[in-house]
Amino acid sequence: MSILFKGRSQGASERKINIAQRFVMFFVNHIRQALGSLGELWRQPAASLMTIGVLGLSITLPSTLYILVKNTEKISAGWEQAAEISLFLKDQTSAAEAQQLLTRLQTWSEIERVVYVPADDALEEFKQLSGLGDAVKYLEANPLPDVVLVTPGEKHTAPTAAQMLLEKLQRQREVDMGKLDIEWLERLYGFLQIATELVTIIGVLLFIAVILIVGNTIRLNILNKRDEILVMKLVGATDGFIHRPFLYTGFWYGLLGGVIAWMAVIIILWWMDSSIQAFASLYDKSFHITGLTGSALLTMLFLSVMLGLVGSLISVQRHVREIEPQ
Amino acid sequence: MIRFEQVSKTYPGGQRALSKVDFHIAQGEMAFLTGHSGAGKSTLLKLISIMERPTVGKVLINGHDLNVIKRRQIAYIRRDIGMIFQSHQLLMDKTVFDNVALPLVIEGYGHKEIAKRVDAALEMVGLRSKARNLPITLSGGEQQRVGIARAVVNKPPLLLADEPTGNLDPKLSMEIVRLFEDFNQAGVSVLIATHDLGLIARMRYRTLTLKNGKMITDGLTDGEEGL
Repeated sequence: MSILFKGRSQGASERKINIAQRFVMFFVNHIRQALGSLGELWRQPAASLMTIGVLGLSITLPSTLYILVKNTEKISAGWEQAAEISLFLKDQTSAAEAQQLLTRLQTWSEIERVVYVPADDALEEFKQLSGLGDAVKYLEANPLPDVVLVTPGEKHTAPTAAQMLLEKLQRQREVDMGKLDIEWLERLYGFLQIATELVTIIGVLLFIAVILIVGNTIRLNILNKRDEILVMKLVGATDGFIHRPFLYTGFWYGLLGGVIAWMAVIIILWWMDSSIQAFASLYDKSFHITGLTGSALLTMLFLSVMLGLVGSLISVQRHVREIEPQ
Repeated sequence: MIRFEQVSKTYPGGQRALSKVDFHIAQGEMAFLTGHSGAGKSTLLKLISIMERPTVGKVLINGHDLNVIKRRQIAYIRRDIGMIFQSHQLLMDKTVFDNVALPLVIEGYGHKEIAKRVDAALEMVGLRSKARNLPITLSGGEQQRVGIARAVVNKPPLLLADEPTGNLDPKLSMEIVRLFEDFNQAGVSVLIATHDLGLIARMRYRTLTLKNGKMITDGLTDGEEGL
């Protein structure tokens, strides 16, 4: 609608077309501009590839680290299930008393399973596993105490919860002392916590770098098109119209960078998988890295596109405004 | 159509480009704006196309005060004004067709409509056969005519030209002015800034003369007197 001349038709907005057609035209125009921006990237493959490559690799690093941390968490979750508390019973505890303790413990909701290992059985096992064999025979008395192995319930396997359960168990009168080999688990948790935070920090830093890189690339694009922008402003282009191709360029940078990151992550994981398998086989375990899940991939691509858009948005807001016909 | 009311423009730094300029150009009128370089011709045109804002006074187009036009609306104002520049302001890496189509693309016309209107505009300036050429392959006069085709392709009610014949010989200059006359006869208001006094002398149009930012004459040229 013309501001100065009432009734003067201006462009498509004034012609008699219905809402559906206008809606379709809106999308047709956007798709046209999006493809136009893609074509522009295609015409300068070297420059575009370098920018897209930088974006892709910047996103690859935090993504890979994220996957490694997730996988470590998964493994440690497996170990956590096996967390066991050993209760060493007092010397004078009789078998009957031990049985009583056992029945009592079985009623506890925190506990999933209890196993009684009498001192004699323990000695027998020790004889077999230690390889000392007959040497054990020379012992005058069995030095080992009776042991109750407690497997905590699912909700009580985390370090603090298990620690609390241990303290409760130690208050039982038959129990001499309890042992929860949890320190290494706590350390692992601490380490994972730090690793997660590091991934976040590295991620944030690299994402900022991506925004700056896209912003600067778009700034150069804008400066290259200075004359064209001037002419467009002279013949009545709105800022939005001038911005759009650059925003689409940012969008493509983000999307293509995301795809590069995706491929890079797949290659890196495939590379690492064999060495990780070799490592796992030392523990008689077979372990495969879980790669990017569908939702993680979508998140990564979305994030990548957003970074491209934000970078270009900051740039167009600043620099297109500076170009005014004189 | 265009009305200046006590318009002064002082550039940052104190350079006074226009002082207390008053005039009115009626709808459908064609007028020349003349004066030495630095007299304020370009500034006056820039105030109409809102490339500059007046320091004091009002510029009105069709009764609308341009002072109240916000930055975001400027683009829409320029769609109503066809502008022609001495330096053509063409996009050298785009074909003649694409250059002329630009205002229509910006306004969101469909493909068919664009082709139709661009054809018509190029026909008017006699360059239909060069639609697929790049501007660089055209002569100065032809480039200027591409600029004119672009200025009129969306049929604006108002045409502004800043030294449109600046680099052209008298014969080509005359051809360009004849084009403006054609548009004027179709009802378009035309304001042409030029320092080509010889050209003005041959024409019989109202002439506004600026000197050091002041409007010193407003009326018909000497040759016109007696009619």
